[in-house]
Amino acid sequence: MTSFSTEGPGADARFLLLGAVALAIFPFALHLVGGYAGLATQILIISVAAIGFNLLLGYAGMLSYGQAMFYGGGGYVAAILLIRTMPNHPNLWLAALGATLVTTLLALAIGAVSVRLYGIYFALLTLAFAQMIFFVVEQAKDWTNGDDGLQSFPNALLPLGPWNLDLRTPLPALPLGPFGNLSDLHLWYVFAAVMLLAVLWFVRTLTRSQFGEVLDAIRENEERSVFVGFNGPAYRLAAFAISGALTGFSGALKAMYDGTVAVDSLGIERSGSFVIYTVVGGVQTLLGPVVGTALIVYLENVLSGVISFWQLIEGLIFVLAIVFLPNGIVGTILRRRHGRRTLARSVKVR
Amino acid sequence: MDALFQALLNGLVRGLIYVAIAIGLTIIFGTLRLVNFAHGAFYAIGAYVGLVVAEKVGLIPAFLVAPAAVAVFAILLDRLVLRHFYGKEATSQLLITFGIALVAEETLRLIFGGTTQQYPLPPGLASASTTIGPITYPTYQLLFALGVIVMIVAVWLFLQRTNYGLIVRAGTRDRIMVQLLGGNISQASTVVFALGAALAGLVGAATSPIYDIDPQTGFDFLVPSFVVVVVGGLGSFWGAVLGGLLIGELQAITTLIYAPAADVVIYICMALILLLRPQGLLGESEVIRPA
Amino acid sequence: MEPILQTTGLGKSFGRFAANVDIDFAVAPGELRAVIGPNGAGKTTFFNLIAGTVPATTGTIRFKGQNITRTAGTHRVHLGIAKAFQTANVYVDQSVLQNCRLAALAHVQGAFAPQFFRRSTRLGQVDALACAALARLELDNLAEVRCGDLSHGDKKLLDIAIALATEPEILLLDEPVAGMSRDEARKTEILVRRLASEMTVLIIEHDIDLVMGISDSITVLHQGRVLATGTPTAIRENPAVQEAYLGGHSAAEMHA
Repeated sequence: MTSFSTEGPGADARFLLLGAVALAIFPFALHLVGGYAGLATQILIISVAAIGFNLLLGYAGMLSYGQAMFYGGGGYVAAILLIRTMPNHPNLWLAALGATLVTTLLALAIGAVSVRLYGIYFALLTLAFAQMIFFVVEQAKDWTNGDDGLQSFPNALLPLGPWNLDLRTPLPALPLGPFGNLSDLHLWYVFAAVMLLAVLWFVRTLTRSQFGEVLDAIRENEERSVFVGFNGPAYRLAAFAISGALTGFSGALKAMYDGTVAVDSLGIERSGSFVIYTVVGGVQTLLGPVVGTALIVYLENVLSGVISFWQLIEGLIFVLAIVFLPNGIVGTILRRRHGRRTLARSVKVR
Repeated sequence: MDALFQALLNGLVRGLIYVAIAIGLTIIFGTLRLVNFAHGAFYAIGAYVGLVVAEKVGLIPAFLVAPAAVAVFAILLDRLVLRHFYGKEATSQLLITFGIALVAEETLRLIFGGTTQQYPLPPGLASASTTIGPITYPTYQLLFALGVIVMIVAVWLFLQRTNYGLIVRAGTRDRIMVQLLGGNISQASTVVFALGAALAGLVGAATSPIYDIDPQTGFDFLVPSFVVVVVGGLGSFWGAVLGGLLIGELQAITTLIYAPAADVVIYICMALILLLRPQGLLGESEVIRPA
Repeated sequence: MEPILQTTGLGKSFGRFAANVDIDFAVAPGELRAVIGPNGAGKTTFFNLIAGTVPATTGTIRFKGQNITRTAGTHRVHLGIAKAFQTANVYVDQSVLQNCRLAALAHVQGAFAPQFFRRSTRLGQVDALACAALARLELDNLAEVRCGDLSHGDKKLLDIAIALATEPEILLLDEPVAGMSRDEARKTEILVRRLASEMTVLIIEHDIDLVMGISDSITVLHQGRVLATGTPTAIRENPAVQEAYLGGHSAAEMHA
């Protein structure tokens, strides 16, 4: 587990401050290398799902090939809530929280039967459930519009104090030379940045907590953990539920950002993408999923306009990362800096 | 009734494809303890190589070159990359083989384009059909089914009668003991890996006249094959056979009743097996405990 | 006195192989009972049944009068039954101290009481328990060492320390001195004796001298069944036991 800065009471504050600064610079740095402002927002939103996946794989030691069921599920629930329950007063918070609640319950239900399995059996079972949900969503045309997906649902507003913010509002204009203009960014970016910081702080706290310590022990040696008296499956179920919550939240925000949601958000490729982002960025690190998402999504968007075989490059990066950088980009950097002992644990998955 | 019979035959053909791929998967897992997500790539490469050879030279040469090419590819893959992942936790294996499958799919897309391709059967064979019971069925597919059955028997004989096969079967039980007893399990492993791959490649080449080829073919057949292996029992030869036929027929009958459910029904099947009998129908009854 | 642990008709079959058959067993609180027998007698299986590692096929197990036959292993630890593994099973990448702390943490907080926002370091009793357990096994000078770097003997001792950190009432030791040097074995024997004065100890061992020296009583298993139970002297002179171990020759003959 990584420490962004050292332990201590000021560490949290420092972490958040550094994070805020990095996030303030990020979209402009991205602009410099050919990215567009919306891309930065999307990266931040999708990273939350990758962080959720990493919690499951890196900390609980469970490889799930079905995270898309929570991601797409969150998106669909948010959209359906906006369309059916609040068409006149679309509330972003309620939609997001509703989606998160539903995906958490879904994760608890699926996890309750799945956590007794390990390794490839668990991976395949999550895949199976994800495919079943895909099917249900595709067939429930009255609710989900089937293959066509839900488009142009009400633009959710964010209630903040006395105002109802439309997150599509651009920031005030301020030319920044080669970095573009401040108005390239919308309020969505600010919101996504705040959310990402909150999620990072949450996961950081979680992994250092008693819960995180026990989860780590269970991942490393579940048999031993059971026979010192820990309820292994219960802890892993909790991790699965939290992961589902984060992923659902991410999916909900993405759907509201895009203004549409489609069945591919529930598909195998989507589940696979979280695997790729996290492994490339660095499993078991806090920032790995964010870095991995940023890199791959950037490549997806920028390369795809230039090269037709960008997916091949993505695949190659993934393979090269596994073979040469098993700790991912962030993990390898951290190892160099802190020495071997900090990341002595390999990705030992149950 | 005729439609049902037709569906059952379709299920048999499809099921036999799954069996061929699943056998490779299961014996590779049994000997190498490798969970091979790249197995679909062997199928796809076999299909495309077969396509090229069939167009340039002919059908029969295609059936010879395709599995050979795939076997060579598999051995290279084994030597260069996968060797380092044997015996590692299943997840590392899943990840690397998943990555290889991705790269393979995209490379095929780069070389052959993303559109589906047709396989050139000689005109006589393409339109030939045989009367079976109440219906007529394409001759090629019947020949294909027979061919796969022969292949399955051949692999079984190989496992039962040859020394390599003996090492494979023993290695499935106790790798270290076999090595201690002097069995060259490393060599046998390579043979098994190449054999499993060649099997998938041959079937890939042979199936292409039946189903169109596109770069995603590998994955399309891989995931159901994994379902088959789970249902039959990871490591069990006859489990792969039983599972493959079951899943194939299940899909065919579902297609008849309600086509959109044809995919999900096999996932439901896999989920049920995983929850009720995780070792599979014919698998070893070892408790799936934290390793 | 009411036995602290009692089994009635306890049996375990793996498929058609009967590892334990119809075992009636009782041990009084504070006793040091050795379980011995030739290889394959079913001793480890018996311990696994008591600890809950494997479920029993037949029979019942009672702990302090309570039927625990269907109780999960995790819960048995909390009831007070702790087992040290035959092959030392430790958290390889963690420090020696952290291994004990985890056991103490489970003992203090229960099987599932996740604290998502607080750290375990604020629970002083966890550290106290862990350090005490290490001290009992004389491992406190190795507290910060990574377990993977420990010697085999120390790993086995750590396994016992981990069990102690859960404050057990019954301690099951499966071949605690196996693989140890003579000195390590002697040290361990003294430690076990000391532990036995505070709790009930069940020990599987092949070192007959050690067993004869420290046990209050001995149970002999043979082919999955109880062959005899009694004091060390009685067991030594039991002809059936001699038959099982020595194939019919008496102990006197062996020493001639």
